[in-house]
Amino acid sequence: MKGQHYVHAIQVNTEKCIGCSHCMQVCSTQAIRIVNGHARIMPERCVDCGECYSVCPVAAVYVKDDELELNLQKFIYKIALVPAVFFGQFPTQYSVSQISSAIRKLGFNAVFEVEHAVDFIKEQYVEIAEDAEIARPVISSFCPSVVRLIQVMFPSLTENILRLKAPHDLAAIYLRHINSNSNINPEEIGVFYFTPCASKIVAAKAPEGEDDSPTDVVVSMKLLYNKVYRIIKDIPLSDDLKRSSTMEPDSIKWALSATEREYFKGRSLAIDGVENVIKFLEKLESGHITDIDFLELRVCDQGCAGGILCPGNRFLTVERIGERVKKLQNRLVENKEVVNPLMNHRELLEKGCKTEAIKPREGLLLDDDVEIALQKMKKIKALNSYLPGFDCGACGAPTCKNLAEDIVKGKANMSYCVFVQRVMEKNYKLSPEQAFQTIEKIWGKDRLNKYKDNHGEKES
Amino acid sequence: MHLQFEIEGGDFSAAGEASSEVKKTLKQLNIPPVLVRRIAVALYEAEVNVVAHAYRGVMEVDISGGGIYVKLKDKGPGIENIDRAMEEGFSTASDKVREMGFGAGMGLPNIKKNCDEMKLTSTPGVGTTLELTINF
Repeated sequence: MKGQHYVHAIQVNTEKCIGCSHCMQVCSTQAIRIVNGHARIMPERCVDCGECYSVCPVAAVYVKDDELELNLQKFIYKIALVPAVFFGQFPTQYSVSQISSAIRKLGFNAVFEVEHAVDFIKEQYVEIAEDAEIARPVISSFCPSVVRLIQVMFPSLTENILRLKAPHDLAAIYLRHINSNSNINPEEIGVFYFTPCASKIVAAKAPEGEDDSPTDVVVSMKLLYNKVYRIIKDIPLSDDLKRSSTMEPDSIKWALSATEREYFKGRSLAIDGVENVIKFLEKLESGHITDIDFLELRVCDQGCAGGILCPGNRFLTVERIGERVKKLQNRLVENKEVVNPLMNHRELLEKGCKTEAIKPREGLLLDDDVEIALQKMKKIKALNSYLPGFDCGACGAPTCKNLAEDIVKGKANMSYCVFVQRVMEKNYKLSPEQAFQTIEKIWGKDRLNKYKDNHGEKES
Repeated sequence: MHLQFEIEGGDFSAAGEASSEVKKTLKQLNIPPVLVRRIAVALYEAEVNVVAHAYRGVMEVDISGGGIYVKLKDKGPGIENIDRAMEEGFSTASDKVREMGFGAGMGLPNIKKNCDEMKLTSTPGVGTTLELTINF
């Protein structure tokens, strides 16, 4: 196989990992195995959704982002690119301008809200909806985990993914451009994007269908939250009610669920939550669902408000963003029009907003050669019929079928199954010592220490 | 590779399970994604036909390096006039079936469009056999 190298933000710290297998059980793409007492993520299957991060009881699963302090020193002119969900992490007593002031205090020259780019995307959607050449349903490219999920599990739907860059990318293109006329060397201008999830880090480090991302540094929103929280009480409340709204009010809801779909003409659906998305795409790929024009899909429940790097409660965040939309709408009534600085640079964004076609990944492939893959498939089917079928996970794979696949791929063997092991021992095909070693190979050497038999003598 | 599925007539809630399984299998082989989708659509339509019209049926699937061959044999009322059944928009589906969103008369034409070869034989009062081939 091609053996491509895939970049991931979700990582496992083997020092901390206790091999409890919680992550393996929740992984929607069956990308995790337990090897030598630790969780191991298969790069060709992982979509960086972060389900494993959320269930890890010892914080061994972590998100690899960029270093904030070092990068603040590296750049001269620093711009914080912050998504609306960040402002939604704070109680309503703190205003957006107060939070922005706090961010500037941390060493940033400017703060820009990602959703300014949504106004531009809305205009694009009007045009795209008229283009009958584009395959239906058009699938939103907003959520990077959805894009990767389709690449890995639903390769035939990759051609339906919208070839449009995400709001944070478009906002970063705009920010680079307006600062290019200043006296500062472009290389010394740093665009710092604060992300609510792991998949947007991957999207910035290794964008799909783009050569390079216009963001320079990507940092977890959690870190920014902690830093802002520490100083926000000392920031005076400024009266920003007189100012014009700088974007259409509902643009700030874009990252949540069911706003984006309203802007694509025709029949559209909004689906959030990784399991819901998978079930729906399964039906779509099988041809059970037809005549849909647009799909807004978010891997996290409640969209980005449920991002794994959002410290606040997702439902409170949704409520706060809703309140802010109302506030902006009121301001609109008083000041009449939206003044979005980004929209003066439409032409620039129109030139740079498209991505290349998204290509399928090889996560499910058994072999490049169809005949060999079929042979392997037959073996998997035969092996699977010998396995107990309870998906207990004691072999270090999430399901019996996954173990059968791993055996055929040469990554495991039949004795990994504790039931098969018993039979092999009974038939003298495996010694108790060998069975013990197999368990140690999967679950680690120290794992069996507490069961040491001291021949009746108690350890003092 | 041989796969076999039983299909129950009238069980609309399960319609599509067999074709989904076949599609899952195909995704593990290095077959162009566009082809996987064409096969999925053809098989789904064929499966729904059995559910909507017949009493029960069997779907037999053979996959080789060269392509996929599917035989769907059902016990049911059969088709009186095969030429008419192949016309777009022609359907004998009952109102009950139509209310569930099926029976638009596009099933068989859609299957034909997505296959390289299609053979339909039927004995009224006994059942229908549909054979499909799609080359990789």
